[in-house]
Amino acid sequence: MNLQTTGTGSASGKRVITKGLTGFVKLLLIVYAILTLYPLYWLFTSAFKSNQDFFNNPYGLPKEWMTENLFRAWELGNMGRAMINSTVVTITAVVLTILLSLLAAYVLSRFQFRFKKLVVVLFTTGLLIPIHSTLVPLFIMMKNIGLLDTYGALILPYTAFELPIAIFLAMAYMSSIPREIEEAAMIDGSGWWGIFGRMILPLCTPIVATISILAFLRFWNDFSFALVFINTQALKTLPLSLSLFSDGFGTDYSLTMGAMAIAVIPTIVAYLILQEQIMKGMVAGSIKG
Amino acid sequence: MPTAMRSKGFIAIALLPALLLFLIFVIIPVFWSAYYGFFSWKGFGDATFIGLDNYREMFKDPIFWRALRNNLILVVSSIIGQVPIALILAIVLFKNSFFSRFIRSAVFMPMVLSTVVVGLIWGYIYHPQFGIANYVLEMLGLESWTRAWLSDPKVNMLAISIPINWANIGPYLVIFIAALQNISPEIHDAAKIDGSTGWNKLMQITLPMVWSTVVVTIVLCISGSLKAFDHVIVMTGGGPAQSTELLATYMYNSTFSVYRYGYGSAVSTMIMIVSAILIALNYFATRRKSS
Repeated sequence: MNLQTTGTGSASGKRVITKGLTGFVKLLLIVYAILTLYPLYWLFTSAFKSNQDFFNNPYGLPKEWMTENLFRAWELGNMGRAMINSTVVTITAVVLTILLSLLAAYVLSRFQFRFKKLVVVLFTTGLLIPIHSTLVPLFIMMKNIGLLDTYGALILPYTAFELPIAIFLAMAYMSSIPREIEEAAMIDGSGWWGIFGRMILPLCTPIVATISILAFLRFWNDFSFALVFINTQALKTLPLSLSLFSDGFGTDYSLTMGAMAIAVIPTIVAYLILQEQIMKGMVAGSIKG
Repeated sequence: MPTAMRSKGFIAIALLPALLLFLIFVIIPVFWSAYYGFFSWKGFGDATFIGLDNYREMFKDPIFWRALRNNLILVVSSIIGQVPIALILAIVLFKNSFFSRFIRSAVFMPMVLSTVVVGLIWGYIYHPQFGIANYVLEMLGLESWTRAWLSDPKVNMLAISIPINWANIGPYLVIFIAALQNISPEIHDAAKIDGSTGWNKLMQITLPMVWSTVVVTIVLCISGSLKAFDHVIVMTGGGPAQSTELLATYMYNSTFSVYRYGYGSAVSTMIMIVSAILIALNYFATRRKSS
């Protein structure tokens, strides 16, 4: 809107047109935003309808707000179990990603050693490898070492695939931390572990936040690894249970909508609270990736 | 001061866990799938070496070519559907007012949803009985346009591309806004003095200033479209009659539905090669532009 208003100060008629135009653009934007949000609105209203209400009146508000769907979906879909699985897998993998990537990034940004170039090149190619092309060999490998159908079958590959982007984000951030800080600590007699733990880690909080957000969303929402590596009902994560739920209760639409509503609430709440950080984090991640 | 020996120990212990995990789960599988691609193997028992037969079969299979074509359809549709809309939105939303913040967060919202949820919701939107897609067309008096969007092979790839575009405009919008806000105020002032406004200014100043960002987003569209596996599995499973198969779902179905691990590995390797070619093409195209 700034573009239309700059430089049109002369004739008042022109100003009226500009104002009208601005209003029109705003209207279009609001329509666009409503279109974007409509599928979510539809999801949440349908989640509270009875199946009959859903078929008779698919687009309006529920005649009667039935919270029962949510409870039934929670029970039938084993959503509690799935929620626990997703939480365990996601948190473990996020912690592991942060720990390993910060240590590696610190070494790569501060030390000179043989093979350093090779290591950086390897992690860079990691950014370019399409995840799905590794599903088959990973499946075979995990089958051979008995890792299939365990939390590890998700935690280890999640972490491994998130490492390159996390390392590059952390390296970029660490190069902005002045070396004098470490030199001072060395004179005080701290070893590298002490310097890393007491000086570097606390200074890295902002980038740790970015990496965690990126990793959290990717792990929490992942479908393909869970689909291929997890078979046991008791270990299924939320997206996987959801897709199976919709197969199993195919015609019970409001129940499936209820299950979906439960599954998206955590990420939407997180998004509403952390909007700015999430936007920045995901953009930083996608540009480097 | 830490001695050289202690530094070496620190380097090894701090770097190795990340490096090993990464090698085992990301790099080594690439070589394994290249290796298994030369075998006929059902996932158990002995594997028979068959040379390039898997690849020969792949090139003769019309489904493989359809899958490749569908992947390219998604690449093109996301470049056409995401980049221009995101750029236009960014141009009108780049001020940090309350209104534009609100619209921005609405547009970004679908990005945090699981691909499964996106696929399921849109599967319902396209539903022949209660889907809102057909309902809206009927309201507009376009009954003849209504159809089973995900079953009709003429339109189902297009139907699949819409939710993918819907979910992915957000990050491009934020990227473009950052690029626009980076244009220094002096340039805007200079444009004002020159009397360059509106459309003129957009074409001659704003667009060239953000062109490098446009190139970046196109690269992201290419790599993003290769990841559309989840949406297709959830919405159509690659069907009906394999009309919405992508390279990744083709690989998944040949490996885990009919248990041809050797063939699936060959397809995996092919996905790697295709994405390498796309990345290389893009690299040369953008390098020429910048030099």
